[in-house]
Amino acid sequence: MESVLFWSATSGYAAATVASVLWVGFRRDGAERAARGLALLGLVAHAASLALRWEATGHGPYATRYEVISADVFLLVAVWLGAGLLARPLRGLAPIVLPVAFLGMGWALTGYGTRYTLPIIFRSYWLYLHIGFAKLFAATLLLSAACAAGYLLKAGDPRRLPSLPAAEQLDLYGHQLMLVSFLFLGVMIVAGSLWAAQGWGRYWGWDPIETSALVTWIVLGIILHFRVLHGWSGRRMAWLAFVGLAFGFATLFVVARVVPTIHSSYLVGG
Amino acid sequence: MNLVRVLRSPRLALAVLGFVAAWAGVGAWLPWAIPGGRPPPGWARSLGLDHPFASAPFLCAVALLFASLLACTWGKRARIVRVQRGDLPRAAVLLPARPGADAAAFLETRGFRRRGDLWVSRRAGLWGGWVLHLGLLALVAGVLVQQSLFDTGLFELTEGESVRLASSGALRWRQHGLLVRGGPPEVEATLHWFDPWASQEGYAPDRLSQLGVAATGAEPVTAFLDRSAGLRAGGLSFFHAIPTGFSVNVDVPGMGRRSVHLQAAGPRLAVAEVEDPAGRPARFVLSSERPLDDPLGTGAIRVELDEGGARRPLQRGAAFRFGDRDATLLSVARWGQYTYARAPGMAAVYAGFLLVLSGCLLLLVPAGVARRDGEGGSVRVFVSRGAAALLAEWERAPSGGGALPAPREVA
Ligand code: HEM
Repeated sequence: MESVLFWSATSGYAAATVASVLWVGFRRDGAERAARGLALLGLVAHAASLALRWEATGHGPYATRYEVISADVFLLVAVWLGAGLLARPLRGLAPIVLPVAFLGMGWALTGYGTRYTLPIIFRSYWLYLHIGFAKLFAATLLLSAACAAGYLLKAGDPRRLPSLPAAEQLDLYGHQLMLVSFLFLGVMIVAGSLWAAQGWGRYWGWDPIETSALVTWIVLGIILHFRVLHGWSGRRMAWLAFVGLAFGFATLFVVARVVPTIHSSYLVGG
Repeated sequence: MNLVRVLRSPRLALAVLGFVAAWAGVGAWLPWAIPGGRPPPGWARSLGLDHPFASAPFLCAVALLFASLLACTWGKRARIVRVQRGDLPRAAVLLPARPGADAAAFLETRGFRRRGDLWVSRRAGLWGGWVLHLGLLALVAGVLVQQSLFDTGLFELTEGESVRLASSGALRWRQHGLLVRGGPPEVEATLHWFDPWASQEGYAPDRLSQLGVAATGAEPVTAFLDRSAGLRAGGLSFFHAIPTGFSVNVDVPGMGRRSVHLQAAGPRLAVAEVEDPAGRPARFVLSSERPLDDPLGTGAIRVELDEGGARRPLQRGAAFRFGDRDATLLSVARWGQYTYARAPGMAAVYAGFLLVLSGCLLLLVPAGVARRDGEGGSVRVFVSRGAAALLAEWERAPSGGGALPAPREVA
């Protein structure tokens, strides 16, 4: 049943991707509603598949790469749908967010695996904060970069892609989302450090993943400084948003594959 | 004064932040930082990259960052108060008067409210940056306190064994901050029970101990300890470390009960080099049928004493000649390792982080202050972010309504 629901979610995201492309290509408002509706259906199926797996394995979606990436995609779609309720123009990011969600589901499958027992260190409430905020960080950083991509598309010719908000608005949303992701990454780092203190008696050990997360946090701080203190905006900021995304992506998905770290077991393992 | 100006320079802040990020980024990837990696080459040693996060360049950069943060945060409060009173900074933008368009009504649709001569929107948001940087200062200060006053050490116990942490040779290692004076804490720890492969539902088999801790002048504490959480007792925290091994517990006349901790010398072999009661070198050798670390069990275990070139098997409960006395092998057991830690600066570190996160939350609140600019109906607006979008919206806003009304005094 869990895999039926997983595939239903994947199909929902695929169909939503098609609808969003139709919306952009043919400017049909009905397609926009269909894209969001299908994404929501996909999200509901996705939630059910994650819940069933949680029930079956006895732990949350953080023990294998399949679970980690599947839950990342879930939160990306949920955050985007939620952000669209708070700020309508962000619904226009559908043609960027939905294909990422669809591809993410495929990527999750490449790391399929099931684990019934976890390392004892996972028995901590900090884990939920740490992992939850890591996923929220990934989702908001990706949305910030999606705004940057939209900005670059719109800045050249404001008439292009009328489904997207105006360039200045995308620039502003990109900034706000980056601030949110900076906050979420901060919470993730603190929760991780408190978790390490609880289990190992050390708050900070300069483990490669810990250090990469700190470096990413500082890099986001630097980027935000360029905006606030040097008045950078527009194209330059859009490119910097991609730099921030690259650091975030490397921290979450690359470092553990390249150097041995305490996080390797679930970020790399299947 | 000049120094303060240099320290307040945004360029310096960016340069220092960039350096810290780059140094930490490099430090995270160094091949010799990986357990079992090759030793650092000479050039890395001379740059301090053999211990990147305790090296002079890194510590100097953190000190400079602290100074720069202090210089930036100092005086910032007064500037925010001035902005709140309508003394707008250079980043404020002008909404030029447009015939038939009402800038006040436009601002009000964007959350601004009239306050005296001004229009303001969610002023709390103006404080985000200040609170954030204050938090960063507290955080760095907390780290400094922590680094100066922390105290941690590792000890080893076998079932039934007790150790006074302050006694000589009790700790396998100890690290402490520069300002810590005196020896290890006056605490006695006793291991009542230990299973290196205890099963707890939903989790892989792992260490589980029952540890007793008695600090002078405090109630003794006995509790179970595993690797998911520490145990607080005697003003210290205790944690379970991973390493484990075998011990042979012997009774030596005149010396009492002793626990000899053996170290693995192969998958099925563990040894301990000791000095016998007569002062001669001796070795306890333990070999097992299956691997020593097999959670399913080791199978039969054989203990021998290697002394003066002769190796003799020992029997549990039986006497054996050990140097110049007849000792008894009481039992063969497992030892576990434990760390104690005292972390006095962490409260400030986390208070700092809490401030940083509160500052971030406040930064998310879009704040603004506006006032009339001259008599022509233009309005000067400072917004914490999105000035360009606001200007563009104003330019696109449909004409309508009257001219900007004169602000009213608010009691
Ligand atoms: C670890 C170090 C630092 C981090 C993580 C950091 C982070 C940030 C962030 C996230 C912002 C808000 C950006 C926005 O509104 O979008 C900011 C603003 C600012 N930062 Fe920093 N910063 C750091 C160090 C410094 C230093 C050393 C200075 C000194 C020059 C400085 C000066 C400022 C100023 C003046 C602002 C604007 C504040 C405001 O709008 O109230 N920062 N910083």
